[in-house]
Amino acid sequence: MEQPVVRLQNVTKRIGGRTIIDRLTLELPLGEVFGFLGPNGAGKTTTIRMMVGLISITDGEIWIDGHSIAKEYEKAIKHVGAIVENPEMYKYLSGYQNLMHFARMFPGVTEARVKEVVRLVGLEGRIHDKVKTYSLGMRQRLGVAQAILHKPKLLILDEPTNGLDPAGIRELRDYLRELSKVEGIAVFVSSHLLAEMELMCDRVAIIQNGKLIDVRVLQGSKPSSERVRTLIEVDRADAAIGALAEVDCAAQPDGNGMIAVEADRELTAVINAQLVSAGIKVFGIRAQIKSLEDQFLEVTGGERIG
Amino acid sequence: MGDFLQLVRNENIKVYFRPRTYIMAGLLVGAVILISVMWLLLSGRDTTMWTVAYWESFILFLLVTIFSVVIAAVSVAEEFTSGTIKLLLIRPWSRSKILLSKYISVVLFAALLTVLLFGSTLLVNWLSFGLFPSETALAIQEQLPGQENMSSLQFLFQFYVMKFIALVVMITLAFMLSTIFRSSALAIGLALFLLLAMDIINSLFSLLNYKWIDYLLFTHLDLTRYIGHTTIDGGMTLGFSLGILGLYYVLFIALTWYIFDKRDVAG
Repeated sequence: MEQPVVRLQNVTKRIGGRTIIDRLTLELPLGEVFGFLGPNGAGKTTTIRMMVGLISITDGEIWIDGHSIAKEYEKAIKHVGAIVENPEMYKYLSGYQNLMHFARMFPGVTEARVKEVVRLVGLEGRIHDKVKTYSLGMRQRLGVAQAILHKPKLLILDEPTNGLDPAGIRELRDYLRELSKVEGIAVFVSSHLLAEMELMCDRVAIIQNGKLIDVRVLQGSKPSSERVRTLIEVDRADAAIGALAEVDCAAQPDGNGMIAVEADRELTAVINAQLVSAGIKVFGIRAQIKSLEDQFLEVTGGERIG
Repeated sequence: MGDFLQLVRNENIKVYFRPRTYIMAGLLVGAVILISVMWLLLSGRDTTMWTVAYWESFILFLLVTIFSVVIAAVSVAEEFTSGTIKLLLIRPWSRSKILLSKYISVVLFAALLTVLLFGSTLLVNWLSFGLFPSETALAIQEQLPGQENMSSLQFLFQFYVMKFIALVVMITLAFMLSTIFRSSALAIGLALFLLLAMDIINSLFSLLNYKWIDYLLFTHLDLTRYIGHTTIDGGMTLGFSLGILGLYYVLFIALTWYIFDKRDVAG
């Protein structure tokens, strides 16, 4: 495996005896959209603040492109673009002046690049207006623009869909996917919006009370060979269970003319054929795939902020 | 690593793209004109331009100090209150350099206001009194407080140099308070309180006869008393005062940079 662009190793943050982040270890390769998921107060923003050097690390180490953020800050941060919490800009300056301000802080970011980025985030029409006249969605776009000015290897976005309308969310999602796949950059997104993350990310980490609970790969729309609970709506449940018993398939009644089986894709087709040949009307077949939300509530135990 | 002057340019933009900066400059020049016009109306033209320029400078330098302190106090604190500090710090620059660029822009602003006051008092009073002096005014042998064996312009220039040194110490103090408290209101309030209470504190302390009073910051902020004198207050020299101010200056700078470098930026 190629060298990860970010590596967090046993990262711990203690403030006044309270452990906010507890031995967090993560790796993130280039070209991946990584979701950082957790309930409010779980430590998502604290972790991000440590990754960009805004707060010190009590214990452990964060490496970005092979450079320690604590020891070689300037070398490490060079490859990072980020929005931490809200994209706060200088409100008395125009969007363009804000971008030029940050462009001046990087060697080699030209005015042409600034204009390119403005086009990319779709702010051409309003870029010369003062930021105080911008809507939250426009500020979010400007925030993304300043984060990608210097073509970073790692893009860190803290709750990026906050304040965006559905069209804006979709646009951001497509854009992030493109950035990660075409430009090969790693995107680290934090959120508590599960459905959103499911659509956006290749992999998610779930964090609760400062501890990493689970890291899982999201399948996306790819068919799974896993057996899942499948509900079948039929006209005669008892006859259906009898017919399925003939092909060694254990089905249980589920009420309202429904029966439940454990089946994968192939088996579902076999079951359907068997039911139809037994003269049973099949009204519907539905696999109960767990959404990320279900999984999330399962691992976090639906617990509140603790 | 990049071009440090670009950082200073950024900080300058933050100062000069705001209307308040021009309101301050306008008030300062307006006050110069107002005093000269009042002087003309109330006591006529039988005065030299130097007398008016001196008194205007004497009074209005307080305004220069207040405005500079405000800009210094706002500089760091405003980045924190607006949240822009986060976007400012996550760049390939050390915190010390970012802070230095802010400090330079603040000192530049103070210098600019000082030059503006110096220039406008000279110009306005030259137009009002110096261009067509009256017979009486021509006959006056100029004697400003402390002026001995030097031209009026020389005297006024020395006055501004002395004032500016103290101004730099004051804005450094305000800049430090701004960095420590991250609140412009508190930094402005405290710095101006210290500035305005200075005379009272000094006169209170002068009643006491302790040696350590000589080492307090406020005993040394009025350097103009040294113009035309080698010692003041029974033995203090300009070198001694500058030494004490220098010590405080180094202390302020060290504290400011240490705190800014170490601080967790959260909330």
